[in-house]
Amino acid sequence: MSDLLQLLFNGLSVGAVYALFALGYTLVFSVLGVINFSHGAVFTLGGYFTYLLIGGAVGANGLLAHAQLPFALPFWLALPLAGFGSATMALLIERLAFRPLRQRQADPLLALISSLGAGVIIVNLIQLLVGAESYSIPTTALGHLPAAITIGGAQVRSVQLLLLAISVVLLVLLTAWLEGSRNGRGLQAVSEDPVTARLLGIDSDGMIRLAFGLSGFLAGVAGGLVGLSISIAGPYFGIGYGLKGLGVLVLGGLGSVPGAMLGGLIIGLAEACVPADWSGYKDAVSYGFLFLVLLLRPQGLLGKALPTKV
Amino acid sequence: MNGRTPRPKPSSTSSQPAGQSLPADQALLATDRLSCRFGGLVAVNQVDLAVMEGEIFGLIGPNGAGKTTLFNLISGLGAPSDGRVLWRGEAIHGLDPARINRLGIARTFQNLRLFSSLSLLENVLVGLHHRARTPLAAALLGSAGFRRQQRQLRQEALALLELFDLADQAGRPAGSLAYGDRRRVEIARALATQPKLLLLDEPAAGMNPAEKDGLCELISRLRDRFSLTVLIIEHHVPLMMRLCDRLAVLNFGERIALGTPAEVRRNPQVIEAYLGGQGTAGGPPLGGGR
Amino acid sequence: MDATLLQQMLLGALLALSVYLPLRCGQLSLATPGFYAVGGYVAALLSTQVPLLAGSGSTSPLWALLLEMLLAGLLCGLLALGIGRVVLRLRGIYLAIATIALVEILRVLNLNLPFTGGATGIFAIPQPFATPLGYAGFTLVLLLAVCWLCAQLEQLRLGRAMAAIRDDELASASLGIDTQRVKVLAFVASAVLAGLTGAIAAHFLNSWNARLGSFDASVTTLAFVVFGGSRLWLGPVIGGLLLTALPELLRPVGDLRLIIFGLVILAGPVLFPQGLITPERLAAVRRHWPAGRSPEPVP
Repeated sequence: MSDLLQLLFNGLSVGAVYALFALGYTLVFSVLGVINFSHGAVFTLGGYFTYLLIGGAVGANGLLAHAQLPFALPFWLALPLAGFGSATMALLIERLAFRPLRQRQADPLLALISSLGAGVIIVNLIQLLVGAESYSIPTTALGHLPAAITIGGAQVRSVQLLLLAISVVLLVLLTAWLEGSRNGRGLQAVSEDPVTARLLGIDSDGMIRLAFGLSGFLAGVAGGLVGLSISIAGPYFGIGYGLKGLGVLVLGGLGSVPGAMLGGLIIGLAEACVPADWSGYKDAVSYGFLFLVLLLRPQGLLGKALPTKV
Repeated sequence: MNGRTPRPKPSSTSSQPAGQSLPADQALLATDRLSCRFGGLVAVNQVDLAVMEGEIFGLIGPNGAGKTTLFNLISGLGAPSDGRVLWRGEAIHGLDPARINRLGIARTFQNLRLFSSLSLLENVLVGLHHRARTPLAAALLGSAGFRRQQRQLRQEALALLELFDLADQAGRPAGSLAYGDRRRVEIARALATQPKLLLLDEPAAGMNPAEKDGLCELISRLRDRFSLTVLIIEHHVPLMMRLCDRLAVLNFGERIALGTPAEVRRNPQVIEAYLGGQGTAGGPPLGGGR
Repeated sequence: MDATLLQQMLLGALLALSVYLPLRCGQLSLATPGFYAVGGYVAALLSTQVPLLAGSGSTSPLWALLLEMLLAGLLCGLLALGIGRVVLRLRGIYLAIATIALVEILRVLNLNLPFTGGATGIFAIPQPFATPLGYAGFTLVLLLAVCWLCAQLEQLRLGRAMAAIRDDELASASLGIDTQRVKVLAFVASAVLAGLTGAIAAHFLNSWNARLGSFDASVTTLAFVVFGGSRLWLGPVIGGLLLTALPELLRPVGDLRLIIFGLVILAGPVLFPQGLITPERLAAVRRHWPAGRSPEPVP
């Protein structure tokens, strides 16, 4: 029983991060119909930002060797700030890569490729500046919380609980905002039907920027959370999430916010179920799901089937 | 869409069309209580049609009446929720578009679907795809036989374009032509597949009156020259009255009239649909001529 | 020019052509690195496990290389046939994602299967050529053959069908073209080419591991085609040659090279949506250099 609970918590906390991550993908996809392949890099950036903001010191290998911010913020402050930093980067990418192509009504696949380029630049820039070492955000950043607590016989790290809590709060807030606020509903309108939305006076470009900003924020926060609960394993640690995030996205349904959440949790749990002997195949779980979903039900669990107009 | 051909029952005569009684089992193309639903919307509702070989059959009706949807069902771009499409008595609904084309049905599109990066000639050559089969080795090595075949195909394609007065523009990219010309290229391309039945979806859209007249004559000529049967959707009702042997009128997905142009013109339900109950048979032309 | 660099450039051009083939009928497939890795593993495993294929001299026999290429191509072709039939029912972004997933699944398999050498992979792969120049010559022959085939494609109805499908798949189907068959054919050809290239590369690089078939490689090979141009076969070739050389040429700039690479991929679609080699530019070049060929009556 306690094993099951352990599995559940492990799976849920991993899944919550996947969900947060995939939400960013979904937000952009829902308004633009493109997958933003720089999302993983923005997520990576969030992790690094968080690390720096809590006062972490950079290693010896990059151009900014031994750099350190002259202050150290508590984690609860560093995390949202890192989110804003990531959001800014996401907006920059929107400006440089997505908007010019949109204005030219270029094939959406071009935007995909362009965003890939942005991701490559960011990741390599990080490597250049900060080097390729791993960093981890020490759990002492959390202050006086115990390292782990026992629930029903399962050892649950407080970090995992925190992760779960923060993710859930963010997800709930996001959903409430999407349904309840004017901008949120505007965003949904643009994702349903951009032409009509514009006719109704909704500023599509503004909504797109909003989507990017939000997705960047979520990615940044997710990055910081991963840095806390696992580690920042070098500038490329976001790529894997980026790819797995695709699996979550497709499983949940492209463009569906609740779908992204559901997909993240399912894949997180599925990964947790992989027995230790086969741990090398853990990564393949997400891709396996992705493949199956695409073959059997391309619109995912909660997505809408896209009809072709003749 | 899969390639299953349901074994047809012996051709049943569907409900007799109002007006002329034509046995459906002699029809080239027939639909039998054909229906199509999207979610809650019924786009096509129990439509019966029987198109006889050699006739020009028109489909008119207000916007959103389900005409293009009907075309899609016939040409394999959608599967019906109910009912059947019969080609020479055999059920073809649910077959994929390529299969249906191979059976002898070709179409043009309301929204114009030319291959914009290819030239006019190449567009038509794509229509000749099935005639262009060659052994791979001969093609790769550029044998004399291959080259001769290529020349022949080009001649054929040019001849088709010639029929539409477009041969002199054969080399131009399809996207660069005038709208009316592009519509005609689409017809030429469809003809290249050597169909028995040609489905034309608003071929006269965007044409001025002179061009419309020209098109009218062209379609008649094509019908005679290629022994075609033509099923045509158009909004310009006077044109249809002149061109078509018979007409069916759709409104809200249902067939509300069927018969010769004269019969249809007099039909009160049709008048109602177009003019909201005003005007008589001698009144202004249905659909508001343009 | 360094023969090693030349060989790398030629391999890059081949991989670019592999990405180009499905793109020519409008299918964005990022699966090339997956089949590249598989091809490499076939060659690496065969030549290290089968002594006959390693030969007894300082270089392994050429026929062994050819045999390995044949088998690599066959395996990749069969894989692609099976996967392609299923995956190519997907359109657009869904297809792209499915191929990314495929590459990752293959990578994880390559990393974990008992006979593939794990993370370190397979090393000490026999050399059929004593010098990089030998490799370059061999690879050049393959490249020229593939280019010739691509050029011939333009004349064949298959080439036209592919362009038609790219422009409008629905209309193509309505004209009687079996679009699925054409797409699968392109996908299989792409996989075979990638497999052949992998087989050569495994020998050339002397060692082979799962990282060579990763998403990074998908990005890179895609960049070749985006940069070079996806309309004509010459585009990917130029893109592959140039972009492979670029990091090497930029070596003095050191760590900036990958950033510059990223800039190319970022700015390429924005500044040159059709890539470097477009039909228009080629026509303009031809007009300046009349090669004594009489103009065709119709293009």
